Amino acid sequence: MNLALFSPGLLLAIAVTLTALSLWLLLPRGSESRPVWWLGWLLGAVALAGFVCAGKRLGGIGEEAVFLTVSLVTIVSGTATIVSRSPVYSAIWFALTLAGVAGVLLVLGAQFLGVATIVVYAGAILVMFLFVLMLAQPSGLASYDRVSSEPLLSAVAGAVLLGLLTLSIGRLSVGPATPEALALASVASDSPTAPAGAAAIDSLEENHVARLGGELFGRHLLAVEAAGVLLLVALIGSIAIVSRGEPDATDNRLALPPATATKQPQGVPR
Amino acid sequence: MENISPSTLLMLVPLLPLAGAILTLLFGKALGSRAHLPAIAGIAGAALGSLVLLVGTSLEVGVAAGVHAEPVRPVEMITPLWQWATVENAYTPAADTQAAIPGTPLSATTHEARPFSITVALRLDPLTATMLAIITCVGLLVAIYSIGYMHHDPGYPRFFSLFALFVFSMTMLVAASNFLIVYVFWEAVGACSYLLIGFWFHKPEAARAAKKAFLVNRIGDFGLAVAVFLLWMSYGTLDFHDTLSANGTIVPGILGQTRLADAGGYQLSDAAGFAGGTIGTVICLLLLLAACGKSAQVPLHVWLPDAMEGPTPASALIHAATMVTAGVYLVTRCAPLFVAYPGALVMVSIVGATTAMIAALIATVQNDLKRVLAYSTISQLGYMFASLGTGTLLGFTAAIFHLLTHAFFKALLFLGAGSVMHSMGGVIDMRRFGGLRRVMPITAATFLCGACALAGVAPFAGFFSKDEILATLHSKAWPEAHGNHQQESPAAGHANTEMSRLMPTALISSAGTAPVGSPSGNAASVKDGLNSLNRPDVWRVLFLMSLVTAGLTAFYTFRAVFMTFTGPVCVPEEAGHSVHESPPVMTLPLVLLAAASVVSGWVLWSTDWLAHFLSATPSLTFAAVAQTAVAPVFHLNLAIQGTLAAAIGIVIAAIGHLGRRSDGPQMERFLGPFGTLFANQFWFDQLYSGLIIKPFMLLATLAAIIDRSVIDGLVECVARVPLAIGGLLRQLQSGMLQRYALAGVMGVLLMVLALAWQLRS
Amino acid sequence: MTPLPLLQNALTVGAILFALGLVGILTRRNLIVMFLSAELMLQGISVSLVAWSRFHGDWGGQILVIFVLTVAACEAALALVFVLQAFARTGRLDAAAWQSLRESSLSRVVDQELPSIDTLPQVWPTLSPAGVLPQADENEPLQREHV
Repeated sequence: MNLALFSPGLLLAIAVTLTALSLWLLLPRGSESRPVWWLGWLLGAVALAGFVCAGKRLGGIGEEAVFLTVSLVTIVSGTATIVSRSPVYSAIWFALTLAGVAGVLLVLGAQFLGVATIVVYAGAILVMFLFVLMLAQPSGLASYDRVSSEPLLSAVAGAVLLGLLTLSIGRLSVGPATPEALALASVASDSPTAPAGAAAIDSLEENHVARLGGELFGRHLLAVEAAGVLLLVALIGSIAIVSRGEPDATDNRLALPPATATKQPQGVPR
Repeated sequence: MENISPSTLLMLVPLLPLAGAILTLLFGKALGSRAHLPAIAGIAGAALGSLVLLVGTSLEVGVAAGVHAEPVRPVEMITPLWQWATVENAYTPAADTQAAIPGTPLSATTHEARPFSITVALRLDPLTATMLAIITCVGLLVAIYSIGYMHHDPGYPRFFSLFALFVFSMTMLVAASNFLIVYVFWEAVGACSYLLIGFWFHKPEAARAAKKAFLVNRIGDFGLAVAVFLLWMSYGTLDFHDTLSANGTIVPGILGQTRLADAGGYQLSDAAGFAGGTIGTVICLLLLLAACGKSAQVPLHVWLPDAMEGPTPASALIHAATMVTAGVYLVTRCAPLFVAYPGALVMVSIVGATTAMIAALIATVQNDLKRVLAYSTISQLGYMFASLGTGTLLGFTAAIFHLLTHAFFKALLFLGAGSVMHSMGGVIDMRRFGGLRRVMPITAATFLCGACALAGVAPFAGFFSKDEILATLHSKAWPEAHGNHQQESPAAGHANTEMSRLMPTALISSAGTAPVGSPSGNAASVKDGLNSLNRPDVWRVLFLMSLVTAGLTAFYTFRAVFMTFTGPVCVPEEAGHSVHESPPVMTLPLVLLAAASVVSGWVLWSTDWLAHFLSATPSLTFAAVAQTAVAPVFHLNLAIQGTLAAAIGIVIAAIGHLGRRSDGPQMERFLGPFGTLFANQFWFDQLYSGLIIKPFMLLATLAAIIDRSVIDGLVECVARVPLAIGGLLRQLQSGMLQRYALAGVMGVLLMVLALAWQLRS
Repeated sequence: MTPLPLLQNALTVGAILFALGLVGILTRRNLIVMFLSAELMLQGISVSLVAWSRFHGDWGGQILVIFVLTVAACEAALALVFVLQAFARTGRLDAAAWQSLRESSLSRVVDQELPSIDTLPQVWPTLSPAGVLPQADENEPLQREHV
């Protein structure tokens, strides 16, 4: 099959269709059949390949092994998150997705954020989800985990969205240089090793965390404070809602009968 | 009093009853049992005024006339009231409608555009004066009678206001000098008749009868309306009298002096593609249709017997003396129009004589006293039409003479029947009472006077008028026996020789002699067909029919008299214990009318005053009519024939119903199958019901169905569209949150797609 | 990698994650999985922001991601509180349990009957002490079959 015959638009269209189809096959629809499951994954893989080819045709997508691996892991585990029949499996797959995302962020040079994703998301938020699952899980596979709400339309919507996004991403190109970029480039052009624009790539990696912190608490101090307040409000809010919602446990504990106030025994040594 | 001008008096004659009607309407409830006062006062004033006008006009005629042999000068007085409508340049006579302005040579420039203008004008001429006197005097007597008759009725004030309103409408009808105004009041008397027939509207039969009367009259009104349209088209004006146009030229009225003086003034030419004379014949036939509707001639007679559901005084005034004579008045007024078209004229007589006979036959088997009188009215009106259709001066004056005497004795008979009904507790079936002459002597005596007048017993009034009618019919049937004033029997549509002597040659070629192979085929042959009926043998048949009808009239009248007033006294239970003579307020009019029935005929005939007086009416001074004037002569042979017929009728009635046999049904058994035919009124009602009413009901039902399902359905469909759309949209509100989110996402995607499509390049 | 392709790759990954998360929210009825999908969308956003930040050499993207992280944490906490409240009311973690917003003339959406899952795994027997015949108690489940 000579892919050169296919125009990028056609490839994109095929990829979108296959994505929609594979998602639809994978989503829980009430009937569990192994062949459908494998077909869905196969089509998804083909669709992904189609996206990659379309992206190559549209623009230039370079090849980087690490990035590719990490991206694949992320995407596959992301798909598995949403199609798993069991919510616990979804949570586990989500953890893997987070690992993949952290890898992508590291490849992009955002070291702090990569680690922060693991720590905050996988460490705190995901654990919270698992706690809630433990408290609220159904016995056995619930019926509502085995069916989806409008799987076909949603799969189509998601696929079309993806196609649009890919199209617009693929059409990206470097525009004419802005004055700031030129100034930056002229500064950077003093250093002999950096080509035009390459200075931008290195400017974030050097002394990354310190500079990130400096930027955060420098220019965005107010936002940081607001975020802190937000966290406080969320904390208080969640406790307030929970405590109002349960009528028995806390109230009973507070309603002590007055007659049983215990006296200090006499023989307590001082 | 002497300083009141005739114009003012002429205006007062209709206005006083109108004022009475309005006052009764406003204050009737407050006046209570005296609610009759305004109406009676108004009608009495009108009666006085019309008598004064009658006297004045007759003096004027006396001054104008000389010896009989000279043509009588027309006497008329026009009182314009106001201009009702004016449309400038509404009518331009076609270049060859010479009937538009008679006597002027053919030229386009002489026929300038005229305005459509209706002047409400009152006229006073002998015919109008006579009619006014009859209407108001008889109306006054009947109104006085109604004081007693309607005494206990809860609708007492309403009755009198309607009564006075009717008198106003009728007087305006006979005094109007414009065809459109006549039409207006033609409808007005129809409306008053409807209101009076349906006076007791809670009774379903009365409501139905009123509706029937109005609808049948409507058919006649349609004829009158179309006739008015055609008259406007042909003559360019609707006035009877001559008027002056804006630039001083005389616009000749349809019955004005200018046109009447011209013998060819009514010959309409081949304008607008009609064959010569067709449009004139059509106009006359339509006027005849209108007269049939109002005067209850066949085939529009079906409403009059049912109209007896109304109160008896209303029947007496409207359906005996005045409203039904409007048709006779109209034909007499339009005498020149009819005489110019002999075909239409002979149709008038045929219709009249046929109606007279049919109605008389039906009346012989009626058991309801008022029904007998109703059919008798139809029959006598038929007599008047038969007389009008002869087209001679004697014919017209005899018809009006009979109208006058008929007004007296028929009103008398109706009031007498009302008196009987009043004391019999509402029962009017003759088989249920008898021998009432011992109980109600005055009523019986006056009723007998009226019956003799109706039957044509000499020297009562009816004898003379009926004799004159028979005379004029005889003169048409046996023209050679009547000397030198006949119209010869025309061949194939040819006008008579006297007329041809008077008309210019140009008109003869265009008007009468339409050759058999004329290009305008059908219409000419219809006219010729009608004209061909104007033969002596047709007239002979009509004469014989009238004679037989005279005998039948006497029969059924005296059958009614014998069944009601002779024999053993028999009173139905509804009468209770109040069987007595009517109070004086009711018997006084009876006596007065009886006196009139007795003497009026003899007086008017012996002095020949009425005929002489009426001959001064402008319409009757038309050459073709005035030429036929004869010296008043007593036709002994006709008198003998008439009296013989009446005597035979009375004797047969006596054999069947006098005395002890007064409740016997012998005559009905004698008639056999004919009796069924007559008793079912020749099945006219059933025929109309099947032919006309049922299809209309079907059409109405169909229209109702279409209205309900199609039209309302369409409207409902328009309403159902939003409902349907809402029903569809409602499905979106499922309560499933994820579907809502999906809808949002798809909406965003659509917008983005649209944007991307726009920006693709 | 040259800047633009790296940007495009990363943006593509972010887009894919976002689309997957969107499909997950729209489709799955389990409230927990719905929120997991929402977090997946946020991950995709984070990747895209960082990619842009790297491309432009601007700190703004990464700062924004930090705040996204913060807000996501707060949101997750409160969301799970609400999920627990919802579970307390209806006894199930089903998004379709809440249909009170529907039009009054429509009827409740009820799942069709699903084919039963008869994939009960075998219960592996445990060894009793030596010499003693195993006493198997039918009523006692030895392990959870499903989570």
